[in-house]
Amino acid sequence: MSAVPAILRRPARPATPAPARGERHLRVVRQAKRRHTLAFVLGVLLLTAGVVFAAVSLNALAAGDAVRAADLERQVLDAERRYERLIAQVAELENPARIQQVASEQLGMVPATSPRYLPVSRPLPADGYVVELLPAGGATEPLKPLISAEK
Amino acid sequence: MTTKTAPGTRTRARRIARRRLRVTRDTTVRRVVGMLLVFAVAFGGVLYRLFDVQVQRADYFAEFGERQRERTIDLSARRGRLYDRDGEVLATSIDAATIYADPRAFRPETLENGLVKPPAADPVRTAAALAPLLGREAEWIEAQLTKDAHFVYLGRQLDWELGEQILSLQVDGRPVSGLGRIVEPSRVYPGGGLAGQIVGFTGIDGDGLHGLELQHDSLLKGTPGTLVFERAGSGLQIASGTREVTPPIAGTDLVLTIDREIQHKAEAVAEQLLLDYDAAGAGIVVLEVGSGEVLAMASAPGFDPNVRAEYAPDLWRNRTVTDVFEPGSVQKAITAAAALEEGVVTPETTFLVDDRYRVGNKTFSDAHDHPTEEMTFREIIETSSNVGTIMVAEELGDQRLAEYLDRFGFGRASGVGFPGEAPGLVLPVDQWWTTSLPTIAIGQGVAVTLLQSADFYATIANDGVATQPRIIRGTVGDDGRLAPSTPASTTRVVSNETAQAMQDILTGVVHGERATGKRAAVPGYLVAGKTGTARKPLADARGYSGQYVASFVGFAPADDPQIVVAVMVDEPYPIWGGVVAAPAFSEVMEFTLRHLRVAPGGRAPTIAEVLDAADRAKADAAAQQEGPATAPDAPASPPVGDAADPAASSPQDPAGEPAEADPDPAAEDPPDGG
Repeated sequence: MSAVPAILRRPARPATPAPARGERHLRVVRQAKRRHTLAFVLGVLLLTAGVVFAAVSLNALAAGDAVRAADLERQVLDAERRYERLIAQVAELENPARIQQVASEQLGMVPATSPRYLPVSRPLPADGYVVELLPAGGATEPLKPLISAEK
Repeated sequence: MTTKTAPGTRTRARRIARRRLRVTRDTTVRRVVGMLLVFAVAFGGVLYRLFDVQVQRADYFAEFGERQRERTIDLSARRGRLYDRDGEVLATSIDAATIYADPRAFRPETLENGLVKPPAADPVRTAAALAPLLGREAEWIEAQLTKDAHFVYLGRQLDWELGEQILSLQVDGRPVSGLGRIVEPSRVYPGGGLAGQIVGFTGIDGDGLHGLELQHDSLLKGTPGTLVFERAGSGLQIASGTREVTPPIAGTDLVLTIDREIQHKAEAVAEQLLLDYDAAGAGIVVLEVGSGEVLAMASAPGFDPNVRAEYAPDLWRNRTVTDVFEPGSVQKAITAAAALEEGVVTPETTFLVDDRYRVGNKTFSDAHDHPTEEMTFREIIETSSNVGTIMVAEELGDQRLAEYLDRFGFGRASGVGFPGEAPGLVLPVDQWWTTSLPTIAIGQGVAVTLLQSADFYATIANDGVATQPRIIRGTVGDDGRLAPSTPASTTRVVSNETAQAMQDILTGVVHGERATGKRAAVPGYLVAGKTGTARKPLADARGYSGQYVASFVGFAPADDPQIVVAVMVDEPYPIWGGVVAAPAFSEVMEFTLRHLRVAPGGRAPTIAEVLDAADRAKADAAAQQEGPATAPDAPASPPVGDAADPAASSPQDPAGEPAEADPDPAAEDPPDGG
């Protein structure tokens, strides 16, 4: 909407008459070029919507990752918990008192008496000599696999 | 065609137009100014708020924001495990479920509008459903659920699966609300009572309360960590938010010197002693000669640390290190070693020994009457003569005997590193009176722990060098392998020659003609040791009671000592160490030697001999099936290699009658006041 009243508009001016003496000069105001306001507003809205959508999407992805991370952490905890319980169970099953009970009561075994000894000329692995066969940097103590998965 | 307008009319139109233009400009300016003002006010508000938030109340808002967003979780450190010397687990921790309830969910709630909201779950039915799972009375659970509280424990440190079962419980087809779970670490001892008195136990909060759990608590418990993260309103972690982890440092794993198999054997034998001899208690210690490593320490009756509340606290003690007893004749080895070291006697020095001997106003006697006879020093120890030992001690004198008691560590804790270890009791020599020397020389009037007794004999077995006993073999390093602890300190107590002579004399106690410790023999091995039968002092008065402590301490193989075993039986019947303790020694020693693959002494059998023995055994078995061709007690086939086995050449007496039992101590006339 132009700020110039319609009455001041001069649609056609074939010849500009010379201003009368003493008359003030009037400048012709051209009609302002029409701006595409609607397109601009729509563009801004679209851009804003795009930015918002991108931000929300990123947040949603991040939240999804957080859920997955939490789930993985829970799985790790469960696995660790299970590992600890298995260690305890193995030790329980290896308990000499239990083995003795199973051997005597379920398998009918009796303690060995009158043992015979037969020294052999070569050391046996059970005598701890297996350690010497290990490659350099190997175990120096024949401890069980203990321990290694722990730390 | 041109329309002519009057000059007045044109001027008026221009005036109107000019006015309208002015009006439009004024309106725009006013609007712009108005907008600016609005923005200025709004911006001012924002600035003020910014100032308020960032400057005026910055601390408050910072804290508020952190509180709202940040969450800190304590990460508990895994308590270190306890392993035996071969890496077998003796104590470890697992996650347990602690179940709690919020009683608000089990009672009706009156709302603001006066209406009554029914409870989320029925306490009676819930209690009935929980009772079999928790192992509690339904009434007790119901009382807990209806308490005027926000939080009550229903069960602590329950099995994890049981916790899952409780949380998924349904009553009337609906899940029970108001129940929750807290994850708590629980200490478990997979061996049950195995080495219970050594390992000890922790409290419900994971602090060491007894045994090695207490002694090494600071090492075992580690350092807790923290996890700090930002969370959204839903409680979920904000992925792009801060996340600071201070990882927990796990407790150090300890590797003990204890051998689980030997410990089990020692405990089984100790328990059997209680049954066989109606004893009040029994203790067994197994030491490795040279290293001082304790392979087993058993006390009976024992207890299971998993359910310690079911046992009297008195049974929690590791009595082999916390309790003292008068060693009796076991002590004579110390007197003898001192006399040999000082050159007072040699093994063949002879004494004229009566069966009675008077010192001051006291008469000491041997366990059996005998005529005055000439005995060598070796025979005095072999037969455990009190009179002979006192005669030797008198030649040694107070000061020198006291000095050797000190050298052997009497009155000092062994340093094994166990909580509550007793140092033993021995009077300073300046407080000795007339009968102290003879009394102490035969093992009365002093008190030692069983570990100390074993340690004295380990010194003799180790050619006179004392090695401080230890129970911690090392820790588990970051690479998962054993990081050995500092080697035990050693001190020479007596010379190599004296120690060798004592080894020889003590071998005679088991294998000699007049030996008192024949039942301690182990087939295939030379065994050295000494019996002991000592009267127990009265607990609350001077003098001695009618009860006895029977003991046997020795080592094997005597020609190359590897293992020391000490056995003590409290108030047995019969009372004799040679009858009660020696067979237990033999059983534990035989198992230990075999378990540690210590080769028997004597000539090694050939393959042909082994095959021949097997053939004969097979033939004997076949003959026995047809009918008994030989006397029932005669061995069908002697063990291979027995030719060189002194133990086999002196068959053991049948158990029962103490025909040659320890003719020990002061049994008949123990000195008072020791």
